[in-house]
Amino acid sequence: MGKVIVITSGKGGVGKSTSVANIGTALAMLGKSVVVVDADIGLRNLDIIMGLESRVVYNSMDVIDGSCELEKALVTDRRVENLKLLAASQRNNKTDVQPEQMKDVCLKLRETHDYVLIDSPAGIEQGFENASSAAEAALIVTTPDVSAVRDADRIIGLLQAKEVSDLQLIINRFAPNMVKKGDMLNQYDVLDVLSIKLIGIVPEDPSIVGSSNRGLPLIYDATSEAAGAYKRIARRLDGQDVPVPEFKAIGWFSNMFGKLFGLD
Amino acid sequence: MLQRLIRFLRREEPSSKIASNRLKLILVQDRLGVNEEVMKDLQQEITQVLSRYFTLDKNQVEIDLQREDQAMALVANIPIRGMKGRD
Ligand SMILES: Nc1ncnc2c1ncn2[C@@H]1O[C@H](COP(=O)(O)OP(=O)(O)OP(=O)(O)O)[C@@H](O)[C@H]1O
Ligand SMILES: [Mg+2]
Repeated sequence: MGKVIVITSGKGGVGKSTSVANIGTALAMLGKSVVVVDADIGLRNLDIIMGLESRVVYNSMDVIDGSCELEKALVTDRRVENLKLLAASQRNNKTDVQPEQMKDVCLKLRETHDYVLIDSPAGIEQGFENASSAAEAALIVTTPDVSAVRDADRIIGLLQAKEVSDLQLIINRFAPNMVKKGDMLNQYDVLDVLSIKLIGIVPEDPSIVGSSNRGLPLIYDATSEAAGAYKRIARRLDGQDVPVPEFKAIGWFSNMFGKLFGLD
Repeated sequence: MLQRLIRFLRREEPSSKIASNRLKLILVQDRLGVNEEVMKDLQQEITQVLSRYFTLDKNQVEIDLQREDQAMALVANIPIRGMKGRD
C-alpha cells in the first residue's frame, strides 16, 4: 500500500504543479509506481506541464460520477510507464466535488501505487479541502517572500488541525545571489518562523520556461540545478538520506568573467 | 558588491532583514489573532508582576509566541538581576 501526499501552498503560483510534475517523474524514475492527481478542478494544467494534454480522455469527475472506471481514466506518461496522471475536469467547478469523493478516489489509487501525489489548487477553500482529504503527508511549497510564507503558515495550521502531521517544506525560486545581497529571505529566516522540516530548496531557474513550452518536465534537463534539487527531494521523500546543499551565490569574479565572455 | 558597499555607507538595513522582522510580527498576529499592542501590554504587565519579586532590566524582557507542533507557546526570556528583599 502506497502513500497519499498533497502538494499545497495557500498562495497561488509558487510552484505546486511544477513540483508535482518533477517530483512525480523523479520518483517514477527511481522505479516507484506513481500517480499524480490534478485536483485543480476548473483550472487544470498538470497535464500541460507534463506534456500529456493530448492523451487525456477522462478525468476524476468521470470517475466520481461513475461514467468511467478509475484504471481507465489514468493517462500513462510518454516516457516513464510507471507514471500515471489523473486529470482534473476543466468544465466543472471545485464545488462540484466533495472531499469524501476525492478521498475515495485517492485511497483506491493508494492500493495499487507507491505514491499518490495530489496537486492542490491555491487557496484555503473547498479545492484545498478536496485535495487534502486523503492525504497522510503534505509538502508545503513556498517562495522566500513575506506573503507566500504567511500563507504557508496558514496552510500548515489548517493541515495540523486536520491531523496531517507529516509536513515538509519546499522553498522554491530561491536565488542565492539575491540572498547574498540581502534582498531575499534565506532558508533559515523561513524555517525559523514555519518550524516544519525542510525537504528541499529549489533554485530559481529560467530553463523552466522552456521546459513548460515543450511539455517536458525540467527533470530531464541534466544541466539544470532545479532539476537536481527535485531529484534529491524525490529521494528524500523515498526515505533516502540526502543532504541539502548550500546554494552558493556566483561571486563577483566569476560573474565578471561570465559577463566578459558573454556567458551571463 | 557595490550595492552592499553603498548600503553599508548609508547604514541601510537590507530588505531581507526587514522582511524577516515583518514576517515574525505578522505570524504572531495571524496565529493568535492578537496585535502588536496586545503583546506590548502583556509584556508590560508581566514585567510589573515579576518586578515585585525580582530585580529586572525592563528593557531586556522578551516575550514571543512560537509554534510547537500542535500548539502555540508563549516563550519569555527574562534576565534576572537578583531577588527583591521581601518583608
Ligand atoms: N524554480 C523556478 N524557477 C523559475 N520559475 C519557476 C520555478 N518554479 C515555478 N516557476 C514558474 O512559476 C509559475 C507558476 O508555477 P506553477 O504553475 O507550478 O505554480 P502553482 O503553485 O501550481 O500555481 P497555481 O496556484 O496557479 O496552481 C510557472 O510559470 C513556472 O514556470
Ligand atoms: Mg498549479
